[in-house]
Amino acid sequence: MRVGIVCPYTWDVPGGVQAHVRDLADSLLELGHEVSVLTPVDEPDEADLPPYVVPAGRAVPVPYNGSVARLAFGPLSLARTRRWLREGGFDVLHIHEPTVPSLSMLACFAASGPMVATFHTATTKSRALQVFGSVLQPGLEKITGRIAVSPAARRVVVEHLGGDAVLIPNGVSVRRFEGAGPLPDQPAVPTVAFLGRIDEPRKGLAVLLEALPELVELVPDVRLLVAGPGDVEEVRESVPASLRGHVELLGMVSDADKPRVYASGDIYCAPNTHGESFGIVLIEAMATGTPVVASDLEAFRRVLEEGRAGVLVPVADPAALATALAELLGDPDRRAALAKVGREAVQQYDWSTVTARIVEVYETVVAVEAELDHAVDVDHAVDAFADDLADVLDDDPSRLSAALRRWLSRTPS
Amino acid sequence: MTTLVWVLVGLVLLGAYVTWTAGRLDRLHARVDAAWAALDAQLVRRAAAARALAPFVEDPASAARLDEAAHRAVEAGAEDRETVENDLSRALRVAVPRLAPTAPVDELRAAASKVALARSFHNAAVKDTRTVRWRRLPRLLRLAGHRAMPTFFEIDDTALAG
Repeated sequence: MRVGIVCPYTWDVPGGVQAHVRDLADSLLELGHEVSVLTPVDEPDEADLPPYVVPAGRAVPVPYNGSVARLAFGPLSLARTRRWLREGGFDVLHIHEPTVPSLSMLACFAASGPMVATFHTATTKSRALQVFGSVLQPGLEKITGRIAVSPAARRVVVEHLGGDAVLIPNGVSVRRFEGAGPLPDQPAVPTVAFLGRIDEPRKGLAVLLEALPELVELVPDVRLLVAGPGDVEEVRESVPASLRGHVELLGMVSDADKPRVYASGDIYCAPNTHGESFGIVLIEAMATGTPVVASDLEAFRRVLEEGRAGVLVPVADPAALATALAELLGDPDRRAALAKVGREAVQQYDWSTVTARIVEVYETVVAVEAELDHAVDVDHAVDAFADDLADVLDDDPSRLSAALRRWLSRTPS
Repeated sequence: MTTLVWVLVGLVLLGAYVTWTAGRLDRLHARVDAAWAALDAQLVRRAAAARALAPFVEDPASAARLDEAAHRAVEAGAEDRETVENDLSRALRVAVPRLAPTAPVDELRAAASKVALARSFHNAAVKDTRTVRWRRLPRLLRLAGHRAMPTFFEIDDTALAG
């Protein structure tokens, strides 16, 4: 299929929607589809653009929804969008965030034919949607296939735009994490890895540090490998001096090093206290073949398949966490078994699986559009036939075509 | 004189709005019809796939029930379609766990997954159409013509889907 994708946000500024579009485009290409992505680009010469990206010019920073969004809107952007649509000849057009006043909205109004939209935003209090919802509605009505990336995003679609959307979550690049090796110069001691913002209480590093004294008693040479942005010194201060030798704080690590952090642990620990909706970190850790010990949160329980693919511990219970970690560190067979189950369990979250589902949406939308064209063809055929018949019978063509239509609607297809 | 001009301008604007809304309703209805045709095709595909699996069900009672439910789904008219398709969903729920390991389930899985998508898109189109039709002006001026109010298609399609 020839797929045209519209990304409303500047390509060379990191963001969730951009990453989603990039991963989707890559895996569509891998499946043998043709892809073109229209997106604003600030520095087309400096940015390392993939060959499928068509730059639509610079974006203008606009305060929007409480932060600054870089958007492309106006006659020039519209002209470029129209040209891209005309020259692309796409079988299906996939618009991301069609309610954002940028290329997406322009494409939504300028295009016709099979259209799919993905809604990412989970903010229920979107001023723009409340004010402009009904103005946007006629444009959105052209979109047959609507996808939401989370239950919250789906709620936004249902509440503000009416209609419904199918839920297809973000993919994870499982392949990028598979087969990762550990960081260089790792000591050969039992290691528990943690990755996440170290100063955000809900990520639960404090719970893990609280479990440390008991864990050291059970496993004397244990080591915590902690990576993630935040104030490293502050965290170091919070650990009792006698235990500081057991904690290695890496600070923020690069994207390339993330898989190696997981792979450096004998166990990956996710002691989060609340507020997780998906559990990407767990999926990434499991993809590297590192067994997981995680808080018994709803999202984590789903990813760990009720404890079949990892160990669940009571939320914010340092004693239970220490026991669970010590038990698993002392049981290499169990760790190997969990690693194996985990590797298989995360395949369903890989982009290849998610993209296959999105392609199903494309196929369904193309089928609906074919029925539309077919209906138009039948319409034309009926009118043409009525005209010919009118000449022969010397009757009124409109009367004949009405009679023909009545007859057609009675006939089972 | 100026009043007359304003009345004329008002009438022209109203006329333009009415024409545009009538066209919009026309497009919306066309989309509902097309979405239904696509959903119908997938439902028939699902029924055919279910019927093909009946010989692979290891428990004769469930096999017979699946075969009958699938047969009725293919034959069903528009009125009792929801009941018949729901019945097929129930029969599938019972039969699929009792399938022989050699049963070719891929076609059924693909059809079931497409039914869920097509149904969601159909109902979204219905919702869009109903929203516009329930507004005061389209109702007052009967802008939808004599067309019946489109209805949602509600069945349990979670069995086997995605």
